[in-house]
Amino acid sequence: MRNGILLLLGLALALSARVAGLTAQQPPPPLVSAQEILDGLTADGSRWLTFGGNYSNQRHSPLTQITPANVNRLVPQWTFQTGTLGNFETTSLFRDNVLYVTGPQNVAWAIDARTGRQIWRYRRELQPNLTACCGLVNRGFGVLGDKLFMVTLDAHLLALDMKTGAIVWDVTMQDYKNGYASTIAPIVVKNKVIVGVAGGEFGIRGFIDAYDAQTGKRVWRFYTIPGPGEPGHETWADDSWKIGGAGVWVTGAYDPEQNLVFYGTGNPGPDYHSESREGDNLYSTSLVALEADTGKLRWHYQFTPHDVHDWDSTEVPVLADITIGGQLRKVVMFANRNGFYYTIDRTNGKVIAAKPFTTTTWAKEIGRDGRPIELPGHTPDEKGSVTCPDITGGTNFWPPTFDPTTRTFFVNAREACMTFYAWKPDYKAGDRFTGGAGQRGQGSEQPYGALRAIDPATGDRKWEFRYLTPSTAGLLTTASGLIFSGDAEGNLLALDSRSGKLLWRYQMGAPMHGTSPTTFMLDGRQYLLVPAGTTLTAWALPQ
Amino acid sequence: MRWFFSGLTVVVVCATAGSLFAAQELPAKNPLDGNADAIRGGMGLYRARCADCHGMDARGVRAPDITQVWASGRTDAGLFKTIKEGVPGTEMPSNPRVQDAEAWQILAYLRTLAAPAPSDPPRGDAANGEKIFRANCAVCHRVKSAGGRLGPDLSRIGIARSRAAVLRRIRRGAEDFGQGYEPVTLTPSSGAPIQGVKKNEDLFSVQIMDTRERIQGYEKDKMKSVKNDTQSAMPIFGPDRLSDNDLDDLLRYLQTLRGFDPAVAP
Repeated sequence: MRNGILLLLGLALALSARVAGLTAQQPPPPLVSAQEILDGLTADGSRWLTFGGNYSNQRHSPLTQITPANVNRLVPQWTFQTGTLGNFETTSLFRDNVLYVTGPQNVAWAIDARTGRQIWRYRRELQPNLTACCGLVNRGFGVLGDKLFMVTLDAHLLALDMKTGAIVWDVTMQDYKNGYASTIAPIVVKNKVIVGVAGGEFGIRGFIDAYDAQTGKRVWRFYTIPGPGEPGHETWADDSWKIGGAGVWVTGAYDPEQNLVFYGTGNPGPDYHSESREGDNLYSTSLVALEADTGKLRWHYQFTPHDVHDWDSTEVPVLADITIGGQLRKVVMFANRNGFYYTIDRTNGKVIAAKPFTTTTWAKEIGRDGRPIELPGHTPDEKGSVTCPDITGGTNFWPPTFDPTTRTFFVNAREACMTFYAWKPDYKAGDRFTGGAGQRGQGSEQPYGALRAIDPATGDRKWEFRYLTPSTAGLLTTASGLIFSGDAEGNLLALDSRSGKLLWRYQMGAPMHGTSPTTFMLDGRQYLLVPAGTTLTAWALPQ
Repeated sequence: MRWFFSGLTVVVVCATAGSLFAAQELPAKNPLDGNADAIRGGMGLYRARCADCHGMDARGVRAPDITQVWASGRTDAGLFKTIKEGVPGTEMPSNPRVQDAEAWQILAYLRTLAAPAPSDPPRGDAANGEKIFRANCAVCHRVKSAGGRLGPDLSRIGIARSRAAVLRRIRRGAEDFGQGYEPVTLTPSSGAPIQGVKKNEDLFSVQIMDTRERIQGYEKDKMKSVKNDTQSAMPIFGPDRLSDNDLDDLLRYLQTLRGFDPAVAP
């Protein structure tokens, strides 16, 4: 009996101890600091905290466990399936062994990176009549503290609780019913979340916004089309500026030293009909350098003045400090949809080198003043005119990489031409507003794609690896001398980044469309994470 | 604009558009018929979205001649639905992104290309045509679940292609190859070459149906060569092999092939 009482007492004590164990502890300090984002990809591989790995968007990992010699021994560790329609276009963030992943259709997840098992899922109801032109996609989270930031297809910006996926705040960027959508991965600079809007085919007036990460309050807005009285406004005939497009749907870069963000801007609208918007149409199809604290324009460079081929300059700008002609230059590298590769001085927007990286028939070269020297016969009309590149362009929104050790810029390039047509469109709020279309060539040379390695000092090609058809995969390079890519037929490819030699491949069943592989360390092993179609697959070397 | 979008997304949007569409009253007649602006807009839309398969003159390349559709009894409303919803089981896709006004514009333009119904009585004897088909064509082409599989199934060729397009194909051979019917020759490291038609391909492998109708995938690095042939497996039937009268009979038979419902009565 006494023993029994003691036993009960002991049990009660044990239980109370268990209960005490469940008592909430003081929460740890916020997870992700601004300094950590600034530090980018560290040698320990413990995190991936921003779209391009680093603010520079180099997507070059310092990790070296997976090498050209052993890459062919990679084995899958797990596969995660979205359970949604539509494909991944995301870059997953990684912190403390957890992945933070956005998917199509306004869905997002926290996933255990060890096992691929879901921790939480966020889903936002899709509004009817969304205008996202090209798929109900999303390109990834931004993060700061214990909050994740995600744009939505109905042009909201959300802050989600990193631990639960619950909404912390929800702000409307613009009314989606007027053609606005958002698909961009935010970047967080200091305490601001920087985002943009899509809708260049729907008569929007594009902008880049910064919001306070804590409160969701808008701090600044930069309209990519200047309003009356602002410089550049005169580059739009009549009222065309009000509905001139120039969306911003691909993540920019940040230079902490200058405190500038760099964003590529989208096509002017209507896309193809020249007479609807005479003038250069600033700042469409441009690179804009904005002061991160205020959104004030420091400089701009327009790649394609008065674009009539839908060549958004929403490719990923990549920053580096490289030696050119014996001088260390602060540059931004940019492979443009218009078929030209550019190395630009990021302190002033002046072109250092510009050269076609695919077949370009619309311009002879980029002049000394930075303006393309255009060739006649490339303004679309009702009869149609053949131009290279095609609408999709020499490249597009899929991320390139830069390997600083070999000073090489890598890009998945496309070789394709098209007949462009144009006609006068009518504008109706929220409706498609393109004024033309393109038709792929008949009987002409079959379009193809290639992974191209470019020397940014000159724009010259170092090597290429040809694909059967144009690829839309993004890239990843590693310090061990690897480059990961994918082809349009669904092959995941690993190549030697110095030579372009194919080292390993795996048929994923769906291509990486706009996505890049990423890499991180977990329990002492280097993981390769590949979003393709509706799956996310993690690879590592055998244990 | 990004050119790509997911097929799955298209299906979803299509389903949504379809249900919305059902709730609205569809005009029986094209409200933009004869409207000059609509015709001009429709021409651009048609060229950009339709001409790849239907041809710049709408007389059919890899898809039906659509200058004849009104003459054959189709209505504006029916054609509108075909543009928006596609034709299941064929290469004609649904076009959920084409707005109603755009579909009517396309039809307004096509009206300007429409041909009257042919006044000549149809030539040829379909029964004899069928015999000719069985003797010469059925080894490669299938009609209503009978015949070969190396070439395209012809069960609905009577509506899928114009008489003139089929005639050209028989007399002059293939000018291009439909997807899944591109001729290819694989030469293994040892053994005889394998000829067939390509069903799929990537950088490292090719999937074919060989001339014995075996479907099989091959790794390219195990082959001495993988050669895309320029010559179709389809022979050219000149007047020496097929008289003009026999050709009329054959074409008459092919024009009777207007689809095949594989459903079996319970």
